[in-house]
Amino acid sequence: MLLRKFLPLACIPLLGSVALADEPARDQLQPNAPQSLLLDITRAGDALVAVGERGHVLIGKDAIWQQVATPSASQLTKVFFLDDKLGWAVGHDATILHTDDGGLSWVKQFEAPSRERPFMDVLFTSASDGMAIGAYGLFFTTNDGGKNWQEAFHDELLGEEDAAYLNELKETDPEGYALEKASLLPHFNRIIRLDDGRLLMVGELGLVAVSSDGGARFSRVNFDYDGSMFNAIEAHGKVFVMGLRGHAFAAGLGLDDWQQLSLPVESSINGALVSSKGGLYLVGNAGVVLAVNDNAEAELVARRQGENLLAGAEDKQGRIWLVGAKGVFALDSAQTK
Amino acid sequence: MLEKLVNGFESFLFRHRGWVITLFALLTVFLGYQASQLKMDAAFVKNIPLNHSYMQTYLKHQKDFGGANSIMVAVEDTRGNIFNPEFFDALKNVHDQLFFIPGVDRAQVKSIYSPSTRFTEVVEDGFAGGPVIPSEFVNDAQGLEIVRDNIEKAGIVGRLIAEDYSAAMVSAQLMDFDPQTNAPLDTIAFAAKLESELRGKFETDTIKVHIIGFAKMAGDVADGAKGVVLFFLIAIAITAVMVFLFSRSLVLTLLPLACSLIAVVWQLGLLTVVGFGLDPMSILVPFLVFAIGVSHGVQIINAVRQRVLDGQATKAAAASAFRSLLVPGGVALLSDTVGFITLLAIDIGIIRELAISASLGVAVIIFTNLILLPVVISFFDIKTKEDAGRAERAQAFWKPFSVFANLKVAVVVVLATLGLYGLGLKGAADMKIGDLQGGAPALHADSRYNQDTFFITDHFSITTDVMTVIVEAFPEACTYHDVLERIGEFEWQVGNTVGVESTASLASVARKVNAGFNEGNPKWEVLPRNTASLVQAVGQIPTTSGLLNADCSVMPVYFFLKDHKAETIEHVIAKSKAVAEKLNTDKVQFKLASGPVGVMAATNEAVAEAQTPMMLYVYGAVFVLCLLSFRSLRATVAVILPLYVVSTLAQALMAKLEIGLAVSTLPVIALGVGIGVDYGIYILSTMAVKLRDGMAVQQAYLEALQERGSAVIFTGLTLAIGVSTWFFSALKFQMDMGILLTFMFLVNMLGAIIILPALTALFWPKRR
Repeated sequence: MLLRKFLPLACIPLLGSVALADEPARDQLQPNAPQSLLLDITRAGDALVAVGERGHVLIGKDAIWQQVATPSASQLTKVFFLDDKLGWAVGHDATILHTDDGGLSWVKQFEAPSRERPFMDVLFTSASDGMAIGAYGLFFTTNDGGKNWQEAFHDELLGEEDAAYLNELKETDPEGYALEKASLLPHFNRIIRLDDGRLLMVGELGLVAVSSDGGARFSRVNFDYDGSMFNAIEAHGKVFVMGLRGHAFAAGLGLDDWQQLSLPVESSINGALVSSKGGLYLVGNAGVVLAVNDNAEAELVARRQGENLLAGAEDKQGRIWLVGAKGVFALDSAQTK
Repeated sequence: MLEKLVNGFESFLFRHRGWVITLFALLTVFLGYQASQLKMDAAFVKNIPLNHSYMQTYLKHQKDFGGANSIMVAVEDTRGNIFNPEFFDALKNVHDQLFFIPGVDRAQVKSIYSPSTRFTEVVEDGFAGGPVIPSEFVNDAQGLEIVRDNIEKAGIVGRLIAEDYSAAMVSAQLMDFDPQTNAPLDTIAFAAKLESELRGKFETDTIKVHIIGFAKMAGDVADGAKGVVLFFLIAIAITAVMVFLFSRSLVLTLLPLACSLIAVVWQLGLLTVVGFGLDPMSILVPFLVFAIGVSHGVQIINAVRQRVLDGQATKAAAASAFRSLLVPGGVALLSDTVGFITLLAIDIGIIRELAISASLGVAVIIFTNLILLPVVISFFDIKTKEDAGRAERAQAFWKPFSVFANLKVAVVVVLATLGLYGLGLKGAADMKIGDLQGGAPALHADSRYNQDTFFITDHFSITTDVMTVIVEAFPEACTYHDVLERIGEFEWQVGNTVGVESTASLASVARKVNAGFNEGNPKWEVLPRNTASLVQAVGQIPTTSGLLNADCSVMPVYFFLKDHKAETIEHVIAKSKAVAEKLNTDKVQFKLASGPVGVMAATNEAVAEAQTPMMLYVYGAVFVLCLLSFRSLRATVAVILPLYVVSTLAQALMAKLEIGLAVSTLPVIALGVGIGVDYGIYILSTMAVKLRDGMAVQQAYLEALQERGSAVIFTGLTLAIGVSTWFFSALKFQMDMGILLTFMFLVNMLGAIIILPALTALFWPKRR
């Protein structure tokens, strides 16, 4: 434990394993990995890549799932692929992993367990430029493909009172300033790139913000629900945001005319995907799978009893796979409500 | 000298025949009264090896976490959906009723009706939660809809609610002692209560009650064991017919049967005297005692009859039979007794009880059938028809058998035996320790109990096949991230073993609670590194969850297995040991193993460990006794080698029939050897005298056969028939024991009349 305190926050990959030296001996590749908690899934070339607890990464090809080794035991919350090969996965202990072979092998680009907070999403706009976001306004950027990561502080997303309070501290109490700065911002849960190039970020306490300069500065949009938003997606010419307790909203590309969707469930909505046929699906806690039509009307199409669902992706053959508390499964095998 | 002693004893007995009979009559009345006080008794602790390190762990933490003695009641709606008022009424009734049955630890009764079954959910401004069945619950469509939502939020599907919502669970822990009377829990009465108070009262056309757990199983076993009385009567009837065919005399039929029954009465009476009850597991002992008694009785009447046919008066014939059979019979019965006493080496109460009750039973046969029987016979005047050709006919009958003592044939027999032994050894290597079938091994697969077990394993993610590994740490250990991380890692790695269906620990539950504190977002299902957050998460978990003790220095990890087959247990235990070794630190120790599977693992290990010493003791005892009575190493080896071959073949048979070496089958080997040696002793004791006198082996064998051969074959058949009635027992373990004992008795008999003479021929090669 002592050792970790003296480690620099930005770790090079090798040091990462040193930092975990006092952790119990791991045995990462395990038969139950495909049935254990998985938090995200995405398409990478011909394969699907899913990530989850204990640093698990699974590769799915032709409906067969295989676990691959990673240099991390921290829970991975999100995986992103820029193309068939280049991908990043982020998670707890501020872990950032990188692959350049479609997910078969991974290296650790960044890790900071002592920060005690997770990354929740990662987005790259090119092979060099990317950002990783997370809890309490955690925001790191890179412009060299993740070799180096720099922290950014988006104080423009603070509330007016918080901003004033923080400014005052900065003068009077530098130590308190550092502490408060680290916890005043809401959790950043999801960042997506809209078709027109703008970035949309959603998060805790009704945070919905947009950036037109590649993520340098964000501005909150006019949005009047103050529960957490966990996800966002662009579909049917609209932007959808969704989150706590069955709250989902849609707006036009102007992002100023939010309409709440009437969902038939009260479960939190965690994930969304648009199928190749253009269908929009939402998945969430209590195993709900909803289909949303062009008129933004939602219908419950499947339910996995007592099993929180996190995300979904479509494979090469057009089959939709979902991940959640009990691992990965095909939507067509899910029991209907 | 021995001869002198026997002769002196004989004249003393036969001179005071009246007193002898009176003494036996008084003893029989006394012990008969004691036997009538005998109770069925099946305490849980008797079934476990208390000194095994797993059981030390189990006993040490039993108070905090309950033990392995649990009961599960699944209430099923046969229409497939529990959400109707009728079902919820029934479930509530079952919960309340179970709560009030004496012996149930009321603090540990768990169902959706217990107030401690709570749900939590996340709302915009924090947490909301409450009991799954709210206090204002109204049993109607609306109320049930609320409960249905709460069940989802509480995450109890698979544990308290069937995965397909067709049943709900009420579970409880039992106490070993009644807290009011401090008397040990009467397991069998408790099981009867479950049947009458739960199933009897609440089962309807649409509501089915499934009950499993040690107590229920013991009750069902006891019920099944009562069927044994019928088998006992059948065995007596068959034996009576056989003895009559053998002796052709009503008196000589009734007397050995009566004496053998007296032996049974004494044995049962002595059990009460030494303070035992009759355990369903050892209910077969009276059978054995009866059968062994008859077989020795037959030797006596055979000897008496032959002497009467030779023209002696009955009294003289009885006295002479007594003289000639007291030593071989006594040695044979003593080796039986010693064979059973060796079972005491096994540290499992129930096997020790079996050892004591069986050795008592066999020892009393020495009195009832070797002493009382000839004395009683001497009062009668046995009339047998003069049968001139008898000796010639017997000789003609036995002549073909005597070739086994011919050296050339003997070589073939011994080679064939070696071949058989080789095959047996190969087969015996496949013999498995423990239970090989799912469900309760004592009962048949189609018994109600096992059907209930299969229902519960099919519909719930939990079973009674739970292994608990206890994590012993230091006070407040659960507030340390690395401790919980270590526990979680142990749970995860062992959970990945084939045979583990699901797991639970403080670590995995704390992860879920942490997600709860973070708006129910599964991305926060981690053990927070931040101490305040970790304490907040762990603080939500009450000690009643069974996941931690009051100062969280002890935290169990639960593994729910798919069954308790020996292979499954071995696998999971081996993995647990390996992972524990890897993860143990000075301050955090993973201790195997509590829960029913921990008990079974310890039992399996105790049985496996006991096997070799038990065999050594039983063979050692038989060896010494034979050596003493024959005073010949060659003769001793000739008796023991066939026994050993047969033991090996029996093990191969067990492997073939998928009968595992378990608490119920372990004694069979010792019993089989102990009783099997009788044949060899009877035959060789006659032969040895003749060999010492210089007779050729084949002739000595022929004469021995003429004198005792028919009694030996008869004995083998009687014993085999007695135990073969067990094939039809409602209890699987009785069936297994029946099969194995029948095999041991018959094949040992064949060994004594085929292999033994062949070995003798090889050992005395010059006597031709």
